Amino acid sequence: MTSADVDDRRALEMVHAVLSAREAPVGVTPRELVWHKNKARLYRYKRQTPPTHRTPVFLVLPLINRAYILDLRPGASFVEHLLQQGFDVFLLDWGVPGDEDRTLDLTTLLTRYLPRATRKASEAAGHVPLTVLGYCIGGTLAACYAALYPKSPVEVRNLVLFTTPIDFSDAGKFGALTKKGVFPVEQLTSTLPLVPGQMPDLGAKLLSPLPTTIGTYMRLWDRLGDNGFDLAGWQAMYRWVNEGVPFPSAAYRQWIVEFYQENRLVRGRLEIGGRVVRLGNIRCPLLNVAASTDEIAPRPTTRAIINQVSSTDAQEIVLQGGHVGIVVGRAAKNGLWPRVTEWLTHHD
Amino acid sequence: MSSPDNQSSRRPPDPFELWRQIYETNERAWNTILERTVSNPAFAESSGKLLETFLSAQKTVRDNMRTYLEQVNLPTREDVSRLGELIVSLEEKVDQLDDRLSAIEAALRSQASAASADRPAATTSQPPERPTTSHARKQSSSRGTTP
Repeated sequence: MTSADVDDRRALEMVHAVLSAREAPVGVTPRELVWHKNKARLYRYKRQTPPTHRTPVFLVLPLINRAYILDLRPGASFVEHLLQQGFDVFLLDWGVPGDEDRTLDLTTLLTRYLPRATRKASEAAGHVPLTVLGYCIGGTLAACYAALYPKSPVEVRNLVLFTTPIDFSDAGKFGALTKKGVFPVEQLTSTLPLVPGQMPDLGAKLLSPLPTTIGTYMRLWDRLGDNGFDLAGWQAMYRWVNEGVPFPSAAYRQWIVEFYQENRLVRGRLEIGGRVVRLGNIRCPLLNVAASTDEIAPRPTTRAIINQVSSTDAQEIVLQGGHVGIVVGRAAKNGLWPRVTEWLTHHD
Repeated sequence: MSSPDNQSSRRPPDPFELWRQIYETNERAWNTILERTVSNPAFAESSGKLLETFLSAQKTVRDNMRTYLEQVNLPTREDVSRLGELIVSLEEKVDQLDDRLSAIEAALRSQASAASADRPAATTSQPPERPTTSHARKQSSSRGTTP
């Protein structure tokens, strides 16, 4: 076979890999539905044996991404790792909102969804305290929740945050793009009932334009020639990146105005359901995981939580990598996950 | 007859390979320029203006569509989503009832466990209170006869 034939075949493989990525199997760990409200679903992952740890792990995912990122596929799943390490695992999937959810804001999620979901998870596990683990915006919500409801309806035994923005005073390029007077957030959220999933994705791609667009396909081309290339893994990740979830307008407005533009959370001025969110109310052990080259949640945004909480046991892990890379993938499997489960075991 | 090697040597240069070489050589430089452009406040301002224009056009389309659908007596997208909102708010009311029931159940559970904790002490010190039961029966029968 000539090198030109090899290239032709590789080109066909590449087209097939990209087009069939949307059918890539993801989130396949067996689970059962525990509770649901509107589009939100609370799942409990099935265990073959009883858990060996007392405190279940309650996962809070970002609103703008599909929840299967933490259960990407067998062998590359944080959920699977937690199960193998003996934890009882619950996952709150916010689902995909529709036009009827345009008034759904973060306040509603924090006061009507999260308290009920944690209560249901605790009840299902035998009325026990929970470890609340949030990723990205899910982490910000988890931190607000732990500050608002540290003991009731369910005791938050531990708080774990993955690449979670807290202080938006220096939010990098994303902060500059959404600045007051520049970004028409009011017009956007009054015109559209949902902010399309492609929009935050476009924002993320603008942070590093070439590697996240053309570079993706160039790297695929190179790897397709490699016998050890994990195509299924690439497809699962490609599917997740391109399967954004729309943001309900009210939640998006609150996120941009109250968090990015006015930085109310660290200033102690964020009001949720008539109560001020005081991060100082968080007294449980805290593990803050950050990425050194994170463009979406840059270090200044993730650093602040450690000094804001009242926890005597507050630990931080800073890993080399980006926003997603440190949480999923081979590096996460060998780097982050064992460290997190070790910490959780120590704090059970 | 020509060999396969000769055939491939006659093949025109692969444009993709050429593009790839150019890209690999320049990726870092291009990305730096793009990143610098994106970081510039002027870029944020112009992208904001672009978004404003798009939203104005979008609003016009939506308004016109709404007017048209109202003229032909068809429900608009807003009408349908309003129905959805009503269903969601009904679900919230059911959830509130569920919350109250759970609170009552929890209170009953804690009462029952407190009572069961007290029971051994009660049986050693006092005989079972039969009158209470009859009193309860009396109450229930009187409740039954009340119109």
